[in-house]
This record gives sequence, structure tokens and C-alpha cells, in this order.
Amino acid sequence: MIELEDVWKVFGTDERAVLVETRRPEPDEDVLKRLRAVVGVRGASLCVKKGELVCLMGLSGSGKSTLVRLVNRLLEPSTGRVRIDGSDILSIGPKSLRELRSRRIGMVFQSHALLAHLSVRDNVALPLEIRGVARTQREDRADELLVRVGLEGLGDRRITALSGGMQQRVGLARALAADPDILLMDEPFSALDPLIRHDLQTQFMALSRELGKTTVFVTHDVDEAFRIADRVVLMRAGRIVQVGTADTLLSQPADDYVRRFVQNARRPALSDFPPAKARAIA
Amino acid sequence: MTHHTARDEAIMHFAGRNGLYYRQAFQRIGERRGYVPSINIAAALLGPIWLGGRRLWSAFWPYLIADLLAVVLIAFALAGGTSAEQGARADRLEKLAVTRLSEAKAANDRDATSTIVKSLTRSAAALEKAADEARQVADHAKAGASLILALGGSLLVATRLSLGAIANHIAERRFRTWRLESDRRKAGFSLLHAGGAPVLLAALIPIILLHFSDRTLLDAVPSDPAWNSASAAWLDHIIGSISKAVAPAAGTLTYAITGMLGLLEAVLTETPWPVVMAIILAIAWQLAGFRVFLLTFVAISYLAILGYWEKSMQTVALLGTAALISISIGIPLGILCGYNRRIAAIVRPLLDFMQTMPAFVYLIPVIALFGIGKPSGIIATVIFGIPPVVRLTALGIASVPASVREAAVAFGASRSFILFKVDLPTAGPSIMAGISQTILMCLSMVVIAALIGAKGLGEDVLHALQYAAQGQGLLAGLAILLCAIVLDRMVQGGRTH
Repeated sequence: MIELEDVWKVFGTDERAVLVETRRPEPDEDVLKRLRAVVGVRGASLCVKKGELVCLMGLSGSGKSTLVRLVNRLLEPSTGRVRIDGSDILSIGPKSLRELRSRRIGMVFQSHALLAHLSVRDNVALPLEIRGVARTQREDRADELLVRVGLEGLGDRRITALSGGMQQRVGLARALAADPDILLMDEPFSALDPLIRHDLQTQFMALSRELGKTTVFVTHDVDEAFRIADRVVLMRAGRIVQVGTADTLLSQPADDYVRRFVQNARRPALSDFPPAKARAIA
Repeated sequence: MTHHTARDEAIMHFAGRNGLYYRQAFQRIGERRGYVPSINIAAALLGPIWLGGRRLWSAFWPYLIADLLAVVLIAFALAGGTSAEQGARADRLEKLAVTRLSEAKAANDRDATSTIVKSLTRSAAALEKAADEARQVADHAKAGASLILALGGSLLVATRLSLGAIANHIAERRFRTWRLESDRRKAGFSLLHAGGAPVLLAALIPIILLHFSDRTLLDAVPSDPAWNSASAAWLDHIIGSISKAVAPAAGTLTYAITGMLGLLEAVLTETPWPVVMAIILAIAWQLAGFRVFLLTFVAISYLAILGYWEKSMQTVALLGTAALISISIGIPLGILCGYNRRIAAIVRPLLDFMQTMPAFVYLIPVIALFGIGKPSGIIATVIFGIPPVVRLTALGIASVPASVREAAVAFGASRSFILFKVDLPTAGPSIMAGISQTILMCLSMVVIAALIGAKGLGEDVLHALQYAAQGQGLLAGLAILLCAIVLDRMVQGGRTH
């Protein structure tokens, strides 16, 4: 379970000063300009339950990628609380933080961020290598995961020899390598073409139900969010505007912005879902 | 044309004065590709004044300089060119001849048989002849002067004509950038800026005229040799005190370098030569394959048969030591520069300095600190050879994608893991290119290193230079070249395999 409580992230020459200024009812724009202030996340509170798949949705610059990075402290929150399974992760030291990242949190990036000098297998095994797992053991585990994501037998390939969709599968396998219970996905499928994106979504949904990972999934694509998410979080200018299921957002939009955002969304058809969820809905 | 487009309005605004004329001119230029003939009479007549007023600075300076050059030529020609000097000389000689002749006459009057009369007359005739020659040269020069005058005049006319023909094109190009930036305050014809050219010309032309009216006035650039020698003495003093201060450290460094070099040299020259050759060939094969192996075989044969083997091994030892030192300092320094922009900002000008400063200049303080001999040669080589490996390592580290590094952090990587398993391998090709460059730079220093007592192939080149032995020089130079090519191919092979 991931809990965020009144989390702020501001960027600037003096984070504290920016924070003080931005939390006022009417912040002084001149001061903010002088501090070169950019507000990433404004007072976000969110609870992701165990095994739940939550989509952070919003336009570019709405703070969704910033918010997901606060969960594993790739970015330090300026203020607020972040808890994982009840324990505060902002107070832990660098060593425990590395431990937490390498054992419990997996992450997938939009630009796949794979190491070009390593083979596909070694890339998948990277989190295990960081953790100090022995070579034979981590290679076995990597091969196992490559089968899972449909890249059986490609372990010895070079990363550059793979297509974009395959590289993203490698990224997914890498995130799963350490068998974490939390998955953070930062627009993993945004750079792929529509057909491959759809395939990967389907495959990912099946995998995530099967493995039961707690997942925070960032996307700017309404259709994608409605298709895969248990709940959708809509963000605007660093603020969470509405949290709810696809149905809630469509039938009871919190304001005009939400209405406009979701109005062109394709209502998910039953056939979009993998059999298990389709059965549950039916 | 009654219809006004936004473009027309912009042109009118841009041109200010004579807006209608420019609107038409730009229209004509815009309608066709390539050069459209269009003469701007104001530009042709006013030259730099027009360019200044229209703020066309990149054309202003060349045309101003062309004007000044024309004035210099014309003034030079009007002052008589070189004919003035020759004419004066002829006058002088003629005067001398006349006095000589009158002396001869006087002597003749006194004593017609005296030998003095004869010699005086002969001397007068010789002087007359010299004066005639000088007069001829002066006449030539006078003809030359009129040529120079014509040149100056036609330069002025040609530049103005060319300006007239391209002025509207220059203005049109400026208009397009002006429209892009749309800094609308800088529109129209500025009288203030137009005044720039007359002011500059008014300041410079009198100086030119003054110079040609009296050559003695502005002959030498005002300089004070005392300042030069005082500055040099001050630097001498500083280098002296530095060398005194760091003498113990310099001693240790010299000792360490000598030790390292001695070891490498012993390995390369004391081991029986067939063994060394076999090992080098094996390494070439292993690192870079059959073709480089063949190349290495040819190179080794050349060095052996022409008697350069011993010396080339000394060179390789020297080079190896210098390259090792360069690389082991350069890579960590490059990593620091890649991570820290502030350090990079300090190091970069230093590297520029090390690469640009002629080697002979820093040889002097190096000798002052470390004395003459191999260690000094190695230090000078390191100074010259270290920049590429630092630069390319820094470049490689700085161009590791931020997302790749972020991913490693997200999986819990420590700083050392990121450095050794992410950044260095990703920057690997760039670093290898730096190492290869450094080795070649080091090799190009062997001749200069030989100048301060480092032995090896450089010494042979130096000897050839001293005795103008072209053949010897070429042979030794080719030996250095072969060493370079073999080393480079081996390192490059190591990179791709």
C-alpha cells in the first residue's frame, strides 16, 4: 500500500522559500520569479491499495511524472508524507533507501533507459546485480522473466538489435526482475505505435492481474488509462483534480476540466479486457 | 499598387526614409530566385556612411577598410611612391659628382699631370653614372606611382559600384532577420550611426596624409624595451622561486618517472629482441586481427633492417610512460569534469592553454624544474598529450543519457555502481578514442622531447635536422610514423573487438 499525504514538490533555487510562497493563498509572482520557482506537485494526497492499478493522467507538465518519482524518492518531496505499507520512507537513510528501491519497487521508463553495452539478459538482471545476487542465479531469473514478457530466447541479443516494443518489454522484465511488490510505470507505452501499444497493454494487464503488483501507471492517454486502471487520478497544474473509476469520471466529472478531458474517451468495451476482469465486470 | 500586405507595411516601417523605393526594390528581389540587378545610388555614393546609417555592420567594416586602403594607396602614390627616395638619392649623387668634377678642374688648374686629377675625374664619372641609374629607377618608380594611383582609384570606384549593386540585397537580408527579431526600435535610417563612418575617416585620413607627407613622423611603433625585459625578469624570478619551492617534490617526481621509464625500457630493450617482436606481433593479432598483424610485421621489419630497433624501443618506452601517466591522470580528471560543470569550466581553458602553447615555451620552465633529460621530456609530452583523453572522457560521461542513470538509481544502485557499471561502460567508446588520440599526441612530441635529452627516434630526426641530412631525416621520420600507425591500429582494434 502506498500512501501520499499532502505532498508538495517545488523546484527552485531555494525550495523552502518557494514552498512558503506557493502555499500562501495568493503567492507573490515576483518572488517566485526571482526564486526561479516551478511547482511540480501541489498538496497531493493519494492512497494506492495493495494490488491496485492506479493511473496518473494529465497533460504534459501536469506533474504526474513528478508525482510518481516521489514514491521512490527519485525526487525528494519538499514537504508531506510518503508511506509504503505504513512505514515512512522519507525518514530512512541512503542505505535503507537503496535497499527499498532494489527489493520492493520496480520502475519502467518512457525512454526504456536500457544499457546499450549489455545484453538483453544482463539488462533484465541489472536490479539483481545491484542487489549482489550471484551471476548464475540472476541469469536464470532473467531468462524466466524474458519468457514471461514474450522474449524467449532473445537473452543474448544486443539491446540495439531490438525494436522499440521489444525494448519496452525488456524494460518491463527488468522492473519485475527483483520481484518487487510495487511497480512504477512512467508513460511506458507512450512512444510506441498504436498497434504495439495495444498489444503491450493487453499483455501488461494480464501480467499485472496475475502477479498482483501494486501499480502506479503514468499516462496522458485517456483511453489507455480507462482501459487498464482500477482507478484514475486526473491531475492539472500539479493538483489532483479527481480520483475515481473510469465510470465515475465519465458520469460524475468533478468540474468542467475533467468533463472536457474525458469527453472524447472511448468507453471501454467488454472485449478490451482480459477474460478474468471481463468476467468480474459482467 | 494600392493593396498593402503585412510585408509591405513591415518594409515601410523598416526602411523609414525612402520606404516606397525599398518596397519596390525588395519586391523585385523577392519575385525571382538568385541575383536581381538593382542599383542603389545612395549606397554607391555614400558607401560606409549609408551602411552605417542602415546599421548593416557586417558590411560596414569591410567597406570602411576598403575605403581606407584606397586612401592609403592614393596618398602613397601622390607622395611619389618609392620614386621620392630614389629621386633624392639621384640628386645627392649628382651633387657629389659636380663637386668632384669641380675639384678635378681645380686640381687640373694647379697641376695638369697630377694623378689626383685623373682619379677625381674617374670618380666623378662613376658618380654621374650612379646618379643616372638612380634617376632611371626613380622614373620607373614614378611610373609605378601612377600605377598605384590608378589602383587606389579603381579600388574606390569598384568597391562603390559593387556596393551599389548589392546594397539592396544586403538590406533585404537584414530586413528578414529584423522581421524575425522584430526589434522595431532599430528601424529606418539613423543619422547618428551614419555619422560613424565620417568620424572614423576624419580621424584616420589625416594620420595617413601626415605619414606620407613626412615619413619620419610615424616611423616606429612606440614601444619600450624596458617593459619587456622587466616583465621577463619578473617571470624569471617567479619561476625561480617556484622551482626552489617545489624542488623536493620535483625530485621525487623525477625519481618516480625515471623508475617507471627504466623499468619499461629494461623490459623492451633487455629482453632478447626476437621475444619482444614475437610478443608485439601476438598482441597485434589478438587485439586487431590479421591485417594489423601484417602491418605490424612490415613495420617491425623496417625498424629492424634499417637499424632503428633499439631506438624505437626507447621511443616506445618513453611514449608508453608518458601515455600511461596521461591516461591515469586524464581519465579521473575527465570523469570529474563530466560530473561537475564548475570543475570543467576551470579545466577547459587550462587544456586549451596546454594544447595551444608552443611546446618550446613550456620546455623552458620544465627544464628549470626538472633539468635536462628523459623525465623532462616525459613531462613535456604529458602536458601536450593529456588534453584529448580528459576532453573525450568528460564528453563521454556528460553524454550518458540522464534517463539511463535515473533508471540505475531507481533500482537502488550506489554511486560507485553507477560510475563503474553504467557511466564508464556507456562512455567507453569516447574514452577509448581519447586514449588513442593521447597516444598519437605523445608520439608527435618525441622530436621535441629529444631536444631536451630524451633518447630514441626523435634524436635521429634532430641530428638529421642539424646536419641537413635529408635522407636520414626521412628514414627516421618514417620510423616514427610506423610506430604511430601500429600503436593506433592496435588501440583502435582493441576498441572495436
